[in-house]
Amino acid sequence: MIRFFLFVATLMGVSLAARSQDKVTLNGYIRDGANGEELIGVSVYIPQLKAGTVTNAYGFYALTVPKGTYEVQFSYMGYVTQTVSIELNSNVSRNTELAGDARMMDEVVVTEKRLDENVVAVQMSKNSLNMDQIKKLPALFGEVDIIKNIQMLPGVISAGEGTSSFFVRGGGADQNLILIDEAPIYDPSHLGGLVSVFNADVVKDSELYKGGIPARFGGRLSSILEVRTRDGNMKNFSASGGIGTLASRLVIEGPIKKDKSSFLLSGRTSNIGLYLKAADSDNGVNFYDLNGKVNWRANNKDRFFVSGYLGRDKITFSGGDASFGWGNATGTFRWNHLFNERLFSNVTVIASQFDYSLSITDPAQGFQWKSNLQELAVKADLQYSLNMNNDISFGYHVTGRRFSPAEIKPTSSGSMFKETMFDKMYALDHSLYLSNEQRVTDKLTLEYGVRLSIFQNVGKADVVIYEDPKNVVDINRIDTLHYDAWENIKTYVNLEPRLGIRYSVGENQSVKLSYNRMVQNTHLISGGTVPLPFNTWSPSSYYLKPQLADQIAAGYFRNFNNNMYEVAVETYYKDIRNVTDFADNAETLLNKDVALEYRQGKSWSYGAEFMINKKEGRLTGMLSYTWSKTMREIEGVNKGREFAAGYDRRNVMSASAAYDLNKKWTLGASFTYSTGRPFTIPAAKYEFDSYHPDMVTERNGYRLPAFHHLDLSATLNPNRNANRRWKGQWVFSIYNVYSRQNAFAVYTRTRQDDDGNVLGDGTEKEARMIYLFPILPFVTYNFKF
Amino acid sequence: MRAILIFLVLIVTLTACEKTVVLDFDQTDMKLVIEGWVTDAPGQQYVKVSRTTGFYTTGKTPRVTDATVEVRDDMGNTHMFIHNPNNRPDSAGYYLPATPFVGQTGHTYSLTVVVDGQTYEAKDKLNPTVSIDRLETRVDEDEREDPKDPGRFYEVLIFAREPQETRDYYLFKFYRNGELAFDSESDVYFADDELIGEEIDGISGAAYYEVNDVARIESYSLSREAFIFYRDLQKVLNNDGGMFNPPAADPRSNLSNGALGFFVTGAVVSAEITVTE
Repeated sequence: MIRFFLFVATLMGVSLAARSQDKVTLNGYIRDGANGEELIGVSVYIPQLKAGTVTNAYGFYALTVPKGTYEVQFSYMGYVTQTVSIELNSNVSRNTELAGDARMMDEVVVTEKRLDENVVAVQMSKNSLNMDQIKKLPALFGEVDIIKNIQMLPGVISAGEGTSSFFVRGGGADQNLILIDEAPIYDPSHLGGLVSVFNADVVKDSELYKGGIPARFGGRLSSILEVRTRDGNMKNFSASGGIGTLASRLVIEGPIKKDKSSFLLSGRTSNIGLYLKAADSDNGVNFYDLNGKVNWRANNKDRFFVSGYLGRDKITFSGGDASFGWGNATGTFRWNHLFNERLFSNVTVIASQFDYSLSITDPAQGFQWKSNLQELAVKADLQYSLNMNNDISFGYHVTGRRFSPAEIKPTSSGSMFKETMFDKMYALDHSLYLSNEQRVTDKLTLEYGVRLSIFQNVGKADVVIYEDPKNVVDINRIDTLHYDAWENIKTYVNLEPRLGIRYSVGENQSVKLSYNRMVQNTHLISGGTVPLPFNTWSPSSYYLKPQLADQIAAGYFRNFNNNMYEVAVETYYKDIRNVTDFADNAETLLNKDVALEYRQGKSWSYGAEFMINKKEGRLTGMLSYTWSKTMREIEGVNKGREFAAGYDRRNVMSASAAYDLNKKWTLGASFTYSTGRPFTIPAAKYEFDSYHPDMVTERNGYRLPAFHHLDLSATLNPNRNANRRWKGQWVFSIYNVYSRQNAFAVYTRTRQDDDGNVLGDGTEKEARMIYLFPILPFVTYNFKF
Repeated sequence: MRAILIFLVLIVTLTACEKTVVLDFDQTDMKLVIEGWVTDAPGQQYVKVSRTTGFYTTGKTPRVTDATVEVRDDMGNTHMFIHNPNNRPDSAGYYLPATPFVGQTGHTYSLTVVVDGQTYEAKDKLNPTVSIDRLETRVDEDEREDPKDPGRFYEVLIFAREPQETRDYYLFKFYRNGELAFDSESDVYFADDELIGEEIDGISGAAYYEVNDVARIESYSLSREAFIFYRDLQKVLNNDGGMFNPPAADPRSNLSNGALGFFVTGAVVSAEITVTE
């Protein structure tokens, strides 16, 4: 392994030294002309050489080409393309500002825009969310939410109402790595999924990688959601925000020193708590999000960013007798450094904490339970533009994690609970990666690389050795091994090869193929479909092996009408080993011996995805359809028989559209359809003591009714007068227009009336369906100045 | 951790609505269900043998009246059980000892049931228990404001000392005027002493009572296997349909040959109090 790295490094060294005298590098940053924000993913293309690149996550690009004078095209969705003639006799550093494309009402502008990234890029199975496009669609619950939009993409399945969880290509909700400015977020839901923790006002870019995942990412099996926040207006002060039925938001940003440094501060808080107070309810519900960022362009070579996020949810019952809360807090410090015109580096230091707590006040049974997960990471990522045909990325990440599953305290002196602390767990996670994107011929581009994952479960810890780690009834602890702080308990080394191939079969069409292996060492074993914060995250350890996923995907991509329509068809097959689950009848809460309930087995999933996306014109929208099947087979679960995974949905379809009616009004609609969730129903019942329990047969053998809803919205921009400082906008939206009662869960009980009085002789049983949201209207007022 | 389960239900009911739906089942094979108890109190030993029935079938489940039932202890004694010896009409399927006996703490009992040529066996150890020091009653103010049953807003508080040196498990039954009482009819009241301290200073028992009601509490010691059975049973009875918790699975039985149910042994203590103003 080391030899491989040395070999490549030597190769690079050799080519650096023997660099041909006639290669030069064009590099620079590309920004929005109005506010100075760096733009991610801008295409920089030289038609004469048929060579190009895109700006990275920091708006930086580097293109190494033979000496000469060339026409260079800078193009980006939503901005006017610039074509500039540049003389490249020596290295040129050129920063460019692009002007926003205000072609709302005009005819479709025909240019040679190079907005065919989906056809040209090697990267497949990736979806970027266009924030402008999203803001025109019905905002479910009145808040624009990127996770709700992600749930409408092909290959992505929503976990349903009541949660921000999503499933990607046969993977559970815990198999998605969600990053905000490179820091991980462990639970992106507010209030059971009404909105996510991402305030759309501060999101600059979000990309979801479902397959063909680049080597710089790792840690989860099924997807990476990378969200980057805006840096703050470098040119002018501005504020924007909104007040809506669900929440109120405010963003303040501006330059600290014009074109040199800027700041951004935002806050969002829920309004629901106010309604409950007004209704004199004993219950309270509350959430907030705070985002902050400062960035500084020190000189041509160095840039610094400091950003942070703090969010919390709190639900209280009976005037405070019971309460439940959770929150994410992240802090990131980043340093971009240009070693030379071709070598860009980013060093990040990240701190992240996820915590939750439950508290019950009662003189005899009161207790408080707290749990958290903390991590500290350092990442170094480098990008090297070797030549016209090769872009190399490599880097090293190291993360230290501390898992505190439970700290229980009694809340009164007379409480029957005693103070208990479950053992903390520690992990050190290293990864090293190297990859290259190589243009082999005009038609063929490859992206290949490898990631080395070295995961250590370390002390300080006392590891209990059980005689039979699967026997819960007769727990026999034969030994306890003591480990000091940082002493290695178990190390898992895994190699994750990644490969992407793009072959151009004609004008505007290409075929792509990808293979990736992903390793996951941080496990959330949640038996239910909706992962609750209660369910603890655990590191790979003595009893938990790393999960491994191998995914192959193939796809055909084609653009029509000068890139106005994007069409993509993809199929995939994913094979997972050591997928984690709980044993039948597992006791998952506050169980010191919970390791005995872990079961690992296999899971396999395959599917086909179809998408058509219209990105320009008065009518824009997307239609996607996914057929997929996901199964599991785990010893000790469902008696070892294969069963449908809880997130298996045979057919999923989504359609969304936005139509600019006139200068003032934009109409939006979105429709989602999904096959029902699998669930376990009893086939029979029996008597035991005074009870009438169900007899359970097949796990997930039945389906809930199909899930679908239609949402509509209308956005009014009253003054489209560019001279006015204050810009206001009204958004009216309706969720679930035909008020479908979408099943949330089905459970059984003795037949009774609505007051709980038993009907009949007490032997009759009935099935009850819980559903959440009927037709709900929302109004939001957004402003900007 | 009932508190947590109640809490989860509360989250959902914050915004949820419900309606009854009719499910469509495939046919499935019927299974045998055996329920047996041996305690250290006289007259409480019995075995009930029945079968599963269709989900929507009403009335009592089918009883097995021609089984052979016997219980052996680890001291060499065998006790034969006779089906419904007093010929009571509502006791079909119940088998009582031919000669009355009581279980003794510290001993293991084995059950053998033969039905239609198939044999089902189970064993369980009878563990000791501690007595309940005393009971008290108290008005639950929240319930008084809005009682489910008028007048019924008294709760019974239990005082006991729980031995900390051993790992003990308990099953509780609450009675109001001689009949079983519950907060909700699918509640199973059991406890594991791992998270419980030594002083049990007035934990409230289940159910509400009114003035002049006689409240009675029975506490049974359970073996670990029986505790796990009741914990599994609680999960089946209160399953939320797989939303927050894993889907239910049949409770782990100590019976062999695929029978459902459990053969339980336990030492019993009880205490009583009459509710006064």
